[in-house]
Amino acid sequence: MSESKFETVSSLVDNYQAQDDSVLQDVLKDNDMADTWQRYHLIGDAIRDELPNELDFDLTDAIANAIAEEPTVLAPIAKPTIKEKIKAKVVQFSKPFGQVAIAASAAGMMVIGVQQNVASNDTQTPYQVADTGRAVGGIAEPVSLNFQQNARVSQEPTMAEQHRKFHALLQDHKQQLKISALATSEVTETPIQEAEKSAK
Amino acid sequence: MKQLVLFISLVLSAIPVKASQQDAIDDAESWLTQLSHSLNSLNFSTSFVVVKNNHAEPYHWFHGVNENGERLEILSLLNGPRRDVLKKGDVVSYIEPELPPYSVNTETLSGPIPNIFSGDILSLKEHYNIIPAGKSRVLGRSAQIVRILPKDAGKYAYWVWLDQSSHLLLKLAIVNRKGQQLEQIQFTHLDIDDKIPESLNILEKTELPEVVTIPEGFQEQKLSWVVDWLPSGFKHINANRHSILTTKQPVEFQSFTDGLVHVSVYVSPAQEQQRAADFVFDGATIALNQVVNGIEVSVVGKVPSVSAKRIADSVRLLVTNNTP
Repeated sequence: MSESKFETVSSLVDNYQAQDDSVLQDVLKDNDMADTWQRYHLIGDAIRDELPNELDFDLTDAIANAIAEEPTVLAPIAKPTIKEKIKAKVVQFSKPFGQVAIAASAAGMMVIGVQQNVASNDTQTPYQVADTGRAVGGIAEPVSLNFQQNARVSQEPTMAEQHRKFHALLQDHKQQLKISALATSEVTETPIQEAEKSAK
Repeated sequence: MKQLVLFISLVLSAIPVKASQQDAIDDAESWLTQLSHSLNSLNFSTSFVVVKNNHAEPYHWFHGVNENGERLEILSLLNGPRRDVLKKGDVVSYIEPELPPYSVNTETLSGPIPNIFSGDILSLKEHYNIIPAGKSRVLGRSAQIVRILPKDAGKYAYWVWLDQSSHLLLKLAIVNRKGQQLEQIQFTHLDIDDKIPESLNILEKTELPEVVTIPEGFQEQKLSWVVDWLPSGFKHINANRHSILTTKQPVEFQSFTDGLVHVSVYVSPAQEQQRAADFVFDGATIALNQVVNGIEVSVVGKVPSVSAKRIADSVRLLVTNNTP
């Protein structure tokens, strides 16, 4: 059945004769068929030696997905008041590493973002943590993406370890607050407290 | 004689100023009391966003009080893996990706909004100054600004924007000494209703996960170290031994609060002998970590880095009686 579906696409690609309009509509609606359509055209181009120098196969999709997954879409920060500007400066100062990433071209960031998101987004990063403290040394040119990545790799074991540690600490802090019956209700006595009092 | 008249007139003119200042402070305090009351009594459905360094966490929050006077709440994080907090009376349930769902027997749920806001908020007066800071417009409503300023410089200030009609929270900012906002909670939508929100009716009928019983004495374990310095007003609340959830590292733990801010201190043996302090900020929350003489000390909480460092430095091992 799907075989015939692709044959339809094939014939459409080969000699684009206006068949049934409904067939065209079907192709447009079906993702599989649309992909096939794209692939056949690509093959055709390759055979006719009409390929462009660079092929960006599904980069658009990948980027769109990455953007969809990006956790920082909402940002209802008020107007950039003077305070905000001051804050921005402080943030820059306090995370030199992030600064480099920002300085790198937006497109570059996007591509890196795609790779990282695909690799390790899902469950591991409920909150992002701003780098402070240690600066990552030896970053020569903010534009040189490769160099930046190398620097990161050489620092990776300790940096990543520290990051995990901080992440775990922040999470544990929150967790402890939840089971800290005393902390959440100082005024009213919890059953545990009462039990203890009577025990004493 | 002239001098006396002048003096009296001066005194007379000074009194009203003093009185109006006092009035303003009383006013600010009554705003906070009303906030606490509204958070306990109103039925509302609201959304807010916690804005931290470079990212935002959107939440949805339902709150209601049923006929039995029980508070029902649902607080959901809307981005990423599901994190929900459900509250029915004095049972609070947490649904999180790290752990199977569980419930805790407690009065207030632990979320981005400080618990004290719905509790005895004026107890903060002991360690914070509560002052009015004018009016503003937030979420399309006219808002009263109240600043909760620490008497001790080693803590952050909290600024709150309260709705003039309902007294509910519209915005909260955690601010350092320089007036920079480190973390904000901005409400993005607020519906107040006479009736309980529909999803809370559903919650009322749902059975919550089982209540975990915290073993007696778990939070009062004897540890062989003390924290010698904390910003003023902090009291010891918990001391226990546990393993950190994700890394499984066993730690000794103490926590402290001044009512508004919670600070956790972790101590464990380290492999290195010394390591300089390193820290990160998650919004206003700092996590600081250092190794001194083979002991790793970590401090987590919404305090300035200087305070966190000082707390970490002040950890002192007690000499045990066993040593000859």
